Amino acid sequence: MKRTRLFSLFAAILMAALSTAGAAAVGSYQDKSIPIGSSSEVLMVGEIEPTVMSVTVPSYVPFHISRSIAGENKVVSPRITMTSHSSVPVRVDVVYTKVDLGGLKGTTWGSSQNVGSNQVAIGFQAETIANQMPTSLEQTKWLLANTDQSLNIANLNPYGSSVLYVTGTLGAAVPEDSSFTVTPTFVVSKA
Amino acid sequence: MNAAVRSKWKKWIFPACALCLLAGVGIFLALRDAGQTLELADNATMGVLPGVDLAQRQAELQQQLDESMISFSINTSPVFETGGAEGNLMLENPANNAKLLVVEIYMDETQELLYQSKAIPAGSYIENTRLDKTLEPGSYAATAYFKAYREDDHSYIGQVGANITISVLT
Repeated sequence: MKRTRLFSLFAAILMAALSTAGAAAVGSYQDKSIPIGSSSEVLMVGEIEPTVMSVTVPSYVPFHISRSIAGENKVVSPRITMTSHSSVPVRVDVVYTKVDLGGLKGTTWGSSQNVGSNQVAIGFQAETIANQMPTSLEQTKWLLANTDQSLNIANLNPYGSSVLYVTGTLGAAVPEDSSFTVTPTFVVSKA
Repeated sequence: MNAAVRSKWKKWIFPACALCLLAGVGIFLALRDAGQTLELADNATMGVLPGVDLAQRQAELQQQLDESMISFSINTSPVFETGGAEGNLMLENPANNAKLLVVEIYMDETQELLYQSKAIPAGSYIENTRLDKTLEPGSYAATAYFKAYREDDHSYIGQVGANITISVLT
């Protein structure tokens, strides 16, 4: 009985001692970390993130051209949507256009809407009416054949898109039973 | 007697004429129908003449254009600690591309090939890599060309360029 009492007393003293030490330890930590009247040192690590450009653009553009199409624009074009998937504004340029008129005997390349009878001219035009191919050639940006060029055809806002059409015309003497190839090279850059 | 014969003849002449007339009309109609039986052209293709329907032509072109679209990502200012070290080019061929991409980087000033990747599958990326040419410290304007190839037969589709500036620190 006496032994049991002694054991209980010892346990009580031990608990009291441990709780006092814990409280003292907490108090001392607080006193050391935040001294009154001064600031603690905080390490701020700044990391520069690389500017990643992420886009969707066509690698080639198929089109048809025919004198029988009504209006100035004689081209049937798909709707070309260029999209930026990143937070940087992007510009799209045509830097070179490979043109092969080998299939059109006697035909030469034109660089404006005023083509000669044996000329063909192709360019790009921004969409002005939704889902509608342009009928006029006024706003067309014309491609130059087989030579370096810096032709800005679209500017994309961050996470934005732009829509273009191929436009063009051909002279009365250009044969209609043959095909030719126009291969523009698009280059995107941070605007 | 003569009057009786004449009366009898008159009695039969009209039905005979009507019969002849009907027979004539029948023969005429039969011959006319026979003339209208035309032989069908065996080289005719059923459907609308290609090129006549503008909307259909545009839809076909749209399908071709969709195949030609390239999506990609690239670091516009990759940095290399040294000329021979790896740099953060961060080339990506997104999963929705459905085509293989080969990247070639040319220095703008000299048109020298600085880097050529192997085919990057859709849904993968190369974050860091070394250039094929060791550059001196400095800043270089370059163009990265993303060349697209079909996944099934590896045939060439087309290419798109991206202007970048390469920095070599030491």
